[in-house]
Amino acid sequence: MKNTITQIGGQSARLALLAAGALLLQAPGSAAVAQVLASARPLQEPAAPAAPTVLLRQVLRQWEKQHKSIIAYDSDLVGDKRVPVPSETGTLEEKLGRTLSDLGLSFKRLRSGNYIITPAGTSSATAAAQDITVAGRVVDAKGGGLPGVTVLVKGTTIGASTGPDGEFSLQVPAGSTLVFSSVGFVRQEMAVTGPTTTLRIAMVDDAKELADVVVVGYGTQRREDVTGAIASIKAEDIRTQGTNTVQKSLQGRIAGVQIESSGGNPGSGVRVVIRGAGSLNNNNPLYIVDGVQVDDINNLQPTDIASFNVLKDASAAAIYGSRAANGVVLITTKGGKKGENRMDFNAYYGIQTIAKKIDVLNASQWATVSNAAHDNAGLPRLDIAKNPETLGEGTDWQKEIYRTAPMQNYTLGTSGGSDNFTYNLSGGYLDQQGIVKKTDYDRWNLRVKSDFNKGRVRLGETVILTREYWRNMAGGWGGQGGNPVGSALKMIPVFQVYDPTAVGGYGGAYGPVVNVASPVAQLNLEVPETTTTTAILNGFAEVSLFKGLKYRLNLGYTSTFGSYNDYTFPYQVGALFNNADADLAQNKSERSYFLQEHTVAYDQAFGKHTLQALVGYTYQDTKFNVLSGSKSGMPTGIAVLDAGTTNIASGGYAYESVLLSYLGRLVYSYNDRYVLTGTFRRDGSSRFGPAYKYGNFPSIALAWNIVNEPFFRPAQNVVSNLKVRASYGILGNQEIPDYRYVPLIQPNTNYVIGTTQQLWSGAIQTAFATPDIKWETSKTFDVGADLGFFQNKLNLTADYFVRRNSDILLQVPIPLSSGASGTSPYINAGQITNKGIEAALTYNNQVGDFNYQITSTFTAIDNVVDFLGTGTQQISGGQPTHHGASATITQAGGPVGAFYLIKTAGIFNSQDEINAYSRDGRLIQPSAKPGDVRFVDYNNDGIISQDDRQYCGSPTPKFTYGFGSNASWRSFDVSFFFQGTYGNKIYNGTREDLEGMNLEFNYSPATLNAWTPDNHTNFPRAVINDPNLNSQTSDRFLESGSYLRLRTLQLGYTLPKNLLSAVKLNSCRFYVSFDNLFTLTKYTGFNPDLGRYNAGAAGGGILDRGVDFPHVAYPLARTSLLGVQVSF
Amino acid sequence: MKRFLYASLLALALGACTKDLDQVSPNSIVQTNFWKTDADFLSGLAATYKVFHDVNNGYYGVRGIETSNGRGDDFFIRNDVKDLYQLSTFTNNPTTGTPGSIFTGFYTGIFRANQVIEQAQAATGISADAQKQYVAEAQFLRGLNYMLAATNFGAVPIITKVPVQRSDYFVAQSPEADVWAQAVKDLQAAAAGLPTSYPSAWVGRATKGAALGMLGKAYVYQKNWAEAEKVFKQLAQPSGQAQSPYTYDLMVNFEDNFSKATDNNAESLFEIQNQNVGGSQPWAGENANEALGVTTAQEFAPTEVAGWFEVSPTDKLFNEFKQERTPSGDYDARMYATLVWDYPGAMYYNKPFSAFKLVFGYSSLIRKYQNWRENNEGIWISEINEKVLRYADILLLYAETVTMQGRPAEAYPLLNRIRSRAKLAPLAAGLSATEVMAEIRHQRMLEFFREGQRFYDLKRWDLLEQEIKNSDKVGREFFSSKFAYFPIPQGELNTNPNIKQNTGW
Repeated sequence: MKNTITQIGGQSARLALLAAGALLLQAPGSAAVAQVLASARPLQEPAAPAAPTVLLRQVLRQWEKQHKSIIAYDSDLVGDKRVPVPSETGTLEEKLGRTLSDLGLSFKRLRSGNYIITPAGTSSATAAAQDITVAGRVVDAKGGGLPGVTVLVKGTTIGASTGPDGEFSLQVPAGSTLVFSSVGFVRQEMAVTGPTTTLRIAMVDDAKELADVVVVGYGTQRREDVTGAIASIKAEDIRTQGTNTVQKSLQGRIAGVQIESSGGNPGSGVRVVIRGAGSLNNNNPLYIVDGVQVDDINNLQPTDIASFNVLKDASAAAIYGSRAANGVVLITTKGGKKGENRMDFNAYYGIQTIAKKIDVLNASQWATVSNAAHDNAGLPRLDIAKNPETLGEGTDWQKEIYRTAPMQNYTLGTSGGSDNFTYNLSGGYLDQQGIVKKTDYDRWNLRVKSDFNKGRVRLGETVILTREYWRNMAGGWGGQGGNPVGSALKMIPVFQVYDPTAVGGYGGAYGPVVNVASPVAQLNLEVPETTTTTAILNGFAEVSLFKGLKYRLNLGYTSTFGSYNDYTFPYQVGALFNNADADLAQNKSERSYFLQEHTVAYDQAFGKHTLQALVGYTYQDTKFNVLSGSKSGMPTGIAVLDAGTTNIASGGYAYESVLLSYLGRLVYSYNDRYVLTGTFRRDGSSRFGPAYKYGNFPSIALAWNIVNEPFFRPAQNVVSNLKVRASYGILGNQEIPDYRYVPLIQPNTNYVIGTTQQLWSGAIQTAFATPDIKWETSKTFDVGADLGFFQNKLNLTADYFVRRNSDILLQVPIPLSSGASGTSPYINAGQITNKGIEAALTYNNQVGDFNYQITSTFTAIDNVVDFLGTGTQQISGGQPTHHGASATITQAGGPVGAFYLIKTAGIFNSQDEINAYSRDGRLIQPSAKPGDVRFVDYNNDGIISQDDRQYCGSPTPKFTYGFGSNASWRSFDVSFFFQGTYGNKIYNGTREDLEGMNLEFNYSPATLNAWTPDNHTNFPRAVINDPNLNSQTSDRFLESGSYLRLRTLQLGYTLPKNLLSAVKLNSCRFYVSFDNLFTLTKYTGFNPDLGRYNAGAAGGGILDRGVDFPHVAYPLARTSLLGVQVSF
Repeated sequence: MKRFLYASLLALALGACTKDLDQVSPNSIVQTNFWKTDADFLSGLAATYKVFHDVNNGYYGVRGIETSNGRGDDFFIRNDVKDLYQLSTFTNNPTTGTPGSIFTGFYTGIFRANQVIEQAQAATGISADAQKQYVAEAQFLRGLNYMLAATNFGAVPIITKVPVQRSDYFVAQSPEADVWAQAVKDLQAAAAGLPTSYPSAWVGRATKGAALGMLGKAYVYQKNWAEAEKVFKQLAQPSGQAQSPYTYDLMVNFEDNFSKATDNNAESLFEIQNQNVGGSQPWAGENANEALGVTTAQEFAPTEVAGWFEVSPTDKLFNEFKQERTPSGDYDARMYATLVWDYPGAMYYNKPFSAFKLVFGYSSLIRKYQNWRENNEGIWISEINEKVLRYADILLLYAETVTMQGRPAEAYPLLNRIRSRAKLAPLAAGLSATEVMAEIRHQRMLEFFREGQRFYDLKRWDLLEQEIKNSDKVGREFFSSKFAYFPIPQGELNTNPNIKQNTGW
């Protein structure tokens, strides 16, 4: 790092240079080249001149931006030189000439928009003075030609810049060293020993530099000017991890962002919670893909993504106003680069296996426990359990439904561009079969992004087309086992998988047992399929009106066509499930979203002052409609509605919402030290009544780049970056269903009438409206710091925030006696505060050929409901089993979805203990017998009831963390990432079912150790009628949810270049990748990151968040992949 | 020029769109545009009636039938649906779901009835007669809901207005006597305003006779014998024949009360209309897909005929039937319509009884309200109307009313009508009031099995503990006095700060 040509744009490069404090251009002794002495003089502020002056480097940077040029210089040459405030008239070359001449400096144009500053008096080297010709090509890591790279002979001003395909040619003195530099890449040097035309220089991305431009709402900003909390993740950081969806690959990577997978369903969604659950209503962030709002980003191809920018605080997100209360995720897809022309092909193939099964009893063990449970209840034994010893193993239902499932993915893309346009075209196919048999997910992607400019006008578009297909599982057939995953646990092993004599061919449960549908029959006899076709279309036109002022029109249209098809074969499955005729249910939905944005941006520098201003108007309109139909009685195998004969039904509905907004932002920065950002957004929403439609969302933020202060210079050797930020702002939330401010009449509340018993169509108000419903507001205070140490090898970003959501939009349950409790009205219900700290630490280093990066994130959030509804309002949620009582209460003073449970205190070992457990001479548990659970009478009223529930923990982790590393050595690379949570609780609903022994299910192996008079254990006795309610919802089934998981491990090998050139490839990398290799946790369910996601429930099920409900589970897979990435 | 163009475009865009913020639902009418015409009120009434047969919340839907019958000494519910098993074995607690469902159903009906009453009273576009009719009909439905709520839960909130503001949602409970008084008031008003009959297209709506019958029953439940007698006299003559203008009569064939071919027959004062019309899904909820039959028959049917065998009669009932034979030595005629057991030639779903397995250790299976003359219950949706009030009930309640006033002799003609239909000999002469009451209790047990009466009869006779302990009911050992009422559902306690739990729970 001693010798550096730098250009101004990259802060880190400049800082590195300053820290190095050395003269960089060394003279090789050529007469034609001026010598500049290496100088190690201390860095100091020069005496202030009388006239107002500015730092030259600052002026140069401003011009770079203004003229879209690169101005390279030796930092020692420019140093802290100051110049009088220069005149802004004329071309860049004129301005440079005027300004530099006074300082004894000159400049040289390498090519259009590419300049280098030289000491005055040097002249361009002439060919006569040179000895040899050197030519070659500069390429990026993937082998694509890199245009615009500055190539300079070290210690001279002899230089050139590379052409469109990265090629260059230069006359240089023999024995010189070439220096290659370009924005966003690590500088490289290469000694020249003789004439050559085949030099090949591969530039390496400089991650820090790329991050220097940050995508913010409606534009970009220099990292230095950012006042808000924005986390940026680049595609390189997550690579291909074998995860099918984008969000999963972000798990643990961003401080303050919790990503919880909802299980292993192929193509399943995830819950993304930014800075804690602030709302009880909707906690999903706003996703913007290339400027267009989308509902979900699962359908994006991970390799299409260039960057994620997560806007976490009010300063960053306020420009999105009403939709930003839960944070904003800005996704930029990959575009083309000028002068490159490349193709990329990626492929992987992998296998997935179930990471963990849950042990259940075999047939003979089950019968033993079942018999004990009936004997203890004084009830006759089940016929099927009469002879345990003859039953053997029975059916292993889990074995019957799980498989090793293949997964494959192919993407092919091309990108490139020239001076006036760039393009990127990519397509992909993913096929992920599920570890549960029959389940499957396919995805086809096609994406085009291009950008054209001519004169004052720039046009561009992104088109993303996606088709997704899911083959899902049946939901449970109205029985009590839930989906096949849930049923496989509860299905009694005595029953058989197949029954050739039954309609449909599958066996099932019979006798007086709980109605659990055979999971195998469910998987085979019902075929629920969903196909979604999404088109995201976005186009923009940008016109430079006059200097620094731009108008931009952005039009977005997203259309999602959903098609759901559910065919059920006729069947007779055991005694309890039968379906006489084939059924077919279909629905077609269309969701369209239209966006119109007009923005005018002004970006100008005035001496030490720079100003970025933005005003805009946006209009968005969302429409949805669905059409459904169903029939029965079609011939087996025919799956069209026309073939159906009975049970004819059809339906449909629609809704529309409009959001209309005015926005503005002002960023003012002074002398690169102080930055002030103010934003304002006024949103009008069709979801609120006439008096409440509009909401105002202002924010203000300050940042101080301490590192740029003169007094800080002495410390720059160690602290290479230091910025402190503070912001405060108000965001909004309008995520309630449409039309809730007026009472509606619900049609189809039908009855039957007349001697002929005809349909009597009914209509009535069934729900209350809230005429005064208004915006939820989220007031966020954030203070943070960005630190860099040792030339930014070590970077730390830390934030403390307080996020207070008031007037939270919530369907607070109303009394059953209101008569409309089925649909509780939305109200502005209360206030929730999230306070937290989040930190991200990265360390980059290079030791010889060994490059490595270590990253880690840490987030701790304290979530408290300040008040709710009437003050004593409690919201119950978190039903853990088919019939279990609520496990969570959300109320003032506690966290959202806190566990409130009756506590247990061991087992009664004798009647004496039961008798002793009394109050006022009355037994507290009169129905208890020895071997039953002792419950804590928390309110001391002498009976055990729901009033004895007490706080038992929170589903929100005390902290979450992630850490990992990317490293490479020569052709080899390795990356791994761990992630985990600490301090959260999970209610294990599966255990409540499997350990209860009060229902005729299969049971957990723990029941083999149940209490008996001869064997006093800590596990309650088996008793099928459970008079003591041992199996009720209680802290028996609450477990620690902390875990540490090796999320991913990847090993790669890149073929050496000499091999590649032979096959005309730019690069070729092979890798193996493993997901979910192991998880350290005490949690006994399938996986601790359950994030029970329920789109239909309030807040996506935020009240159920820590409750593991086996009816809807799909266990996580362990994945192993083999992949290749080729570029040519 | 260009700038001007852009500016104009911008201005246009801003102006054009603000009106789009006023969106109205394309799916339903707003409340302020409803309640104008007769059709609106009839729709509102349909929506009020229908709650009774809702699959989950309806008192006469499947869960309601299981809930109201499951705790009787004549009924067993198997350990499949945990809530129902807990209820029937007296191990339930306030979180047990099904009582919460019927509680919700009562108040859903009350909320809807209140809408009809308030809106009809305020409506200007309907005739005075129509207004009177709609109000009375809604009062009948509201009164019935309050009566059932008082019976099952005791002290509950009384709500007679549509809430205007949020604070109106949280109503404190009133003493049980006040709830009964509200029921009586509503039923009296209904009786005054309702017609005695409807044209055939509207058969199934509440009549004056239905209102009187329920009113009389409400008095019986309050042991107000004198008032009850006055009401029953309006419906039946001392001979047991219907009092003009009513034409009620016992069906000659007891079974006709429980088969779909003889829905809305002469014995019925009020019944819930069930038919497989509407959509195809009995569990769809209140929407176009909802099938308007009931799943009760399928859930109660044995496994051999595609049923879920959720319930079984106990042997206590079976033996009660066997106590008295007909003069010809046969069993009580009602026994054959109520149960099936291994008598010679017993057929059930067109199969011999031997084709069925008795899985719970009891001796009989249930025929009443089953489509047992069909081959199976395979389509889930039964069309048999659920009888809320039969003339037989009027006769027996009338008999009880006079007996309890010390006039057992007057009960004879009434009781003998019931007995003769059952092919039993006339009641032996000269029985004391106590003996006649014993006979009434015996007859009610046999007559009304699975009609949601047994548990509540025992309760008002103060015989719950005695009869449940003295039975072969599973869970009888866990019965205690608190089970006479359901607990106030936890869902209500969680949401309504003004309500308290029932004693003992």
